[in-house]
Amino acid sequence: MRDVVVVGAGLTGLVASIRLRRAGLEVTLVHQGIGGLQLGQGTIDVLGYRPERVARPLDELADFLAAQERQGGPSHPYAVTGPEAITEGVGFLSQLVGPQLLVGDVHTNVALPTAIGALRPTSLYQPSMADGLVSLDPAEPGALHAGCRVVVVGIDELKDFPAQLIAGNLAATDLPDGGRLSTRAAQVSFPARGSEVDSTGLNIARALDDPARRSEFARVLSAVVEPGETVALPAVLGIEDARAFPELRAQLGTALFEIPLPPPGVPGMRINEKLTRIARAERVEIISGSALTGITAEADRVSEVIVATSGHDTHIPARAVLLAPGGFESGALRLDSYQQLSEPILDLPVARPSGELINDSWAREQPLFRAGLATDTDMVVLDPRTGGPVHRNLHAAGGILAGAQRWDEKSGEGIALASAMRACEAIVARCEEKDHD
Amino acid sequence: MTETRRLDASTRQPTQAWSGNGSDMSVWEHLRKASPRLNHNPNSYEAQQLNRVSLDQCVKCTICETQCPVARVTELFSGPKYVGPQAERFRNGESVDHTLDYCSSCGICTLACPQGVRVAEINSMARAVMKQGHMPLRDRLITQTTLEGKLMTPIAPVANWALRRKPIRVAVEKVVGVHRDAPMPVAQRQTVQGWLKHRSGPTPRRSDQPARGPVIFFTGCAGAYFEVETSKKTIEVLEYLGFDVIVPKQGCCGLAEQSNGLFDGARAKIRALCEQLSAAGREPTIVSSSGSCAGMVKHEAHEIMGVEDPQVLDVGARLRETSEFLLDLYDHGQLPTDFRRIDSRFVYHAPCQLKAQGMGMPAIRLMELVPGVQVVESDENCCGIAGTYGLKKEKYEIAQAVGRPLFEKIKATNKEFAVCDTETCRWQIREGSGAKTVHPIHLIHAAYGLSEIDSPQV
Repeated sequence: MRDVVVVGAGLTGLVASIRLRRAGLEVTLVHQGIGGLQLGQGTIDVLGYRPERVARPLDELADFLAAQERQGGPSHPYAVTGPEAITEGVGFLSQLVGPQLLVGDVHTNVALPTAIGALRPTSLYQPSMADGLVSLDPAEPGALHAGCRVVVVGIDELKDFPAQLIAGNLAATDLPDGGRLSTRAAQVSFPARGSEVDSTGLNIARALDDPARRSEFARVLSAVVEPGETVALPAVLGIEDARAFPELRAQLGTALFEIPLPPPGVPGMRINEKLTRIARAERVEIISGSALTGITAEADRVSEVIVATSGHDTHIPARAVLLAPGGFESGALRLDSYQQLSEPILDLPVARPSGELINDSWAREQPLFRAGLATDTDMVVLDPRTGGPVHRNLHAAGGILAGAQRWDEKSGEGIALASAMRACEAIVARCEEKDHD
Repeated sequence: MTETRRLDASTRQPTQAWSGNGSDMSVWEHLRKASPRLNHNPNSYEAQQLNRVSLDQCVKCTICETQCPVARVTELFSGPKYVGPQAERFRNGESVDHTLDYCSSCGICTLACPQGVRVAEINSMARAVMKQGHMPLRDRLITQTTLEGKLMTPIAPVANWALRRKPIRVAVEKVVGVHRDAPMPVAQRQTVQGWLKHRSGPTPRRSDQPARGPVIFFTGCAGAYFEVETSKKTIEVLEYLGFDVIVPKQGCCGLAEQSNGLFDGARAKIRALCEQLSAAGREPTIVSSSGSCAGMVKHEAHEIMGVEDPQVLDVGARLRETSEFLLDLYDHGQLPTDFRRIDSRFVYHAPCQLKAQGMGMPAIRLMELVPGVQVVESDENCCGIAGTYGLKKEKYEIAQAVGRPLFEKIKATNKEFAVCDTETCRWQIREGSGAKTVHPIHLIHAAYGLSEIDSPQV
């Protein structure tokens, strides 16, 4: 008998598995495919918009949640987890991956340039992005501030980084301090290997894991960089070798930062690899490539989960289950052409906002994305029709939760981490309780 | 009261929805009617399947590309998404992208896909169609694994001597196309069947173990002729635990032919094999220490070659890899764990075709039940060999480059000893790292006191 089966290997599933394992539990992590971390930006968003841009996410949380409450519909996940779980979750992740991968402060948002030259708020970011940091507090200017000169350098062999567009948009953006940046675009050629003319960001990052290729890249860059300029590059500065970014920055002798690319992104992969390796090394039992196909319930609790191993189903008896499969984007929630919402694996009851789920505006929020699973503060899945638990030991966390507009709010990672903490706390308490029986 | 909460399987599994639920007019039949051009294709199942439903689930997230061990080391292969769900849209029974031939069929892409796209399966089928009419002789020869075993066993010393002679290997490379440095099996003087016939009797059952009834042992060709020690040790451990081990006369599963696109031969082989295994008993669990052959029987025959034979499906459903089987006993409190201490820290590499079976890595938990054992998981997707891929002269260098990080990790962790569940991977790892590389059962066999871990057979 395993103590916990965790379903899903995104940020929620990985962090929760490690947390539960460190609490001494026997944890099996089941997932179909690699989780969503490398599809994100490799940063930790807590709350970016409410809908105006948020500078102090935890300080502004109460006002945000009050507005959410007035709007009606399923409770926002932060209203369920409370703010302490956010701090705890972000702190736990920071400690897991270390300052080589994540820096910043959960209380303070910063803005970072994106791959279209917009400024995007986030809380924690990678050290390789720090030189591109725009402060949201006019009293304390960040690395990039009014009057800074930035050269956005594109790589001919990498199609996903439009340097001209980025430089143009950045120059046209008002900074929180009222000023603007002075930008220009430049292009270099750097084939990742051989004569490859169309490389992925990952292949260039792998090339830059090699110290010799790094020196070559620094030489290529120095030909287009002028003294006093900050260099903006696509996020390809090494994947395995943590020395890649600091060495390149030192060799170039100038401020230098990475801008995340469209997925799959190298910064997200760095975090995914790190967490996966920790989970494996600490003996979270990982079953990859296996879809959850069902659960068996006895009375009011789940007794085992069923996964589709090749050739036969595998039944894994467990004391608790944590569902962390993501939301619509992962196929974990579905809407059919009759506007019927469902959770397609276990057919769990889905909480939904009242009224229309989809409207024809491309810019306004789509209420659909507030649909998901409702839970109590232990993250136990509730039936929204009765308000009671579906099964007493079936928990849910992360993107499958109801009540948030994660993309609009920029709250995805914060919700993942906070709900993972709450679920872990409840599961550990339950398993300890059982030990005393 | 027990209830099972799940939706009907047919709405979930693309492959099952695809088979038409027994109705006369399956999706396939529709496609066959709609596309007469494909009908004339001698591999029409594969050609039809090219239009597989699952590729519509691809959201172009490109996660598979980030995990492909071949695309990591060579620009000759554009990667699983580009030759798979992407190029697939342009195929109409014919291939538009011949770099597909560089796919090693390791299956890591399917394993990595969060949307359930059968990327590797799509690519294996597309390659079979692409190679029709110009199948290299080499690919027909090296896939005859049973024949190789049968020919080499009686002349084992001569065969082993010959395989170590450079001039002979150079000639083989020039004539057949098998790389001169590619890892080769070591021929044994005795097959498993020969050993069974001549041994004095089954291993005595442990005094505290109940008689547990029969299990059927599936050796795999390599397990029958080359990695004979692995088969012997599996049989002995199972007998020691109280099982009656039935080892029927058995042929090849056809995996090598399947991965080379020789589907007709592979289909005939898997059917014959499952006939033989079924004849040994309709009920017992079938155990195999040949991880990749187990994968062929469990899912690849069905998913890649469309074998719907109920006997094949039944054998696949009853089949367990040895570590999977023993760990299941442990989880049910039925495995004695009074193991002898073995102080060893070593790299364990789970082969791609084991990972593809969706059972996790049972060998890790199993081996760590032995006091003193510290398993270091390889963290590598693939060793490079991918069955016969790394033997081919044009792919040898790629296969070595794929395996290099694994070899380096073994050299840095424990250069004497490593563990891996499948035969060709062990040959590749032995050659690449120099470490004595064994199946997990060797460790369990020794920990039960049935052999010494550093005995010459290991």
